[in-house]
Amino acid sequence: MILSGWESVFFWIFAIAAILAGLLTVMARNAVHSALFLISSLVSVAALFILLGAEFIAGVQILVYVGGVMVLFLFVIMLVNVGAEEEGRSPIFNRPPQVIAALVFLSLLAGVLVIYAIPNGYLGLKERDKTQLQQAAAAQDAREQGLQPGATGVSRITTETERVGTSLYTYASLPFEIASLLLLVAIIGSVMLARTLKQEAAADDIDRDMLE
Amino acid sequence: MSQLSPIFLFFLQETSGDRLSTAIEGVKHPDLSKFLVIAAILFIIGVAGVLTRRNLLVIFMSIELILNAANLNFIAFSRYWQDVGGGNPLAGQVFTVFIIVVAAAEAAIGLGIVIALYRNRETIWIDEIDLMKW
Repeated sequence: MILSGWESVFFWIFAIAAILAGLLTVMARNAVHSALFLISSLVSVAALFILLGAEFIAGVQILVYVGGVMVLFLFVIMLVNVGAEEEGRSPIFNRPPQVIAALVFLSLLAGVLVIYAIPNGYLGLKERDKTQLQQAAAAQDAREQGLQPGATGVSRITTETERVGTSLYTYASLPFEIASLLLLVAIIGSVMLARTLKQEAAADDIDRDMLE
Repeated sequence: MSQLSPIFLFFLQETSGDRLSTAIEGVKHPDLSKFLVIAAILFIIGVAGVLTRRNLLVIFMSIELILNAANLNFIAFSRYWQDVGGGNPLAGQVFTVFIIVVAAAEAAIGLGIVIALYRNRETIWIDEIDLMKW
């Protein structure tokens, strides 16, 4: 997978947007601002998913993360501390020697990882899979020629989502069922955790004073 | 100084002209390694958020950032499998769906705990929540 032309332009735009929004998520003092920056970071990562050819996952990311989880987060922020900021308290980074030591080690780690380890590892991987890459690219081109053209005539309609669905229901059918159970437990658990003392007493049909 | 010279030589070798041209080529044509680098940076930002913030909700958001970095890695390698044509190339995408499901469940439970905690202790600053520390 090597992007070129406009794809690479969009890659850099969304990659930088994702990292900047992620940084601002961690650095914003107001939790509402954090949530909004996290939403923009998630949307940028969804755009990167589209560049990688995973349209279905990008849609799920927008619907579930941005439309579901982040709205839940915003509700809880509004419920818990509107406008409470980490201000007037001691600063977040308040011990200079420790912060400097941590930054030095973090930058060393990140530098070695980002500049050396990942690109070299990828080069090795590409070298190892050289022949398969060429064969698979030829097969991919042949497969794409057989696909229906899209409405605009510029691109072709892929069967990616169909194949993800097939894979989900055959290759991963047992984990799929377990995930449904997990979601059931999560629903019941969050209702149990968030109910008030009054609701708890009413449900168990006992005197409220006994719980207090 | 003399002990450090191998390190300098290593850096010189790694940043010589040939390297520079491949770096420019990499900027023009991003490949798998760029996606992995972005995911690594997002992961580091998320870990930094978990370790430094005092607001419980922002810590949760940083965890979402970490999970999202893992998702990006899975999708990138899924695409690489597709290019190589080995194994089940969609396994990465399927796994990502499960990560999103688990993240949603985790957010529901975690926010339920936050609500219960706020009702009992009137605070969401984690340095004030130390009932079980000793």
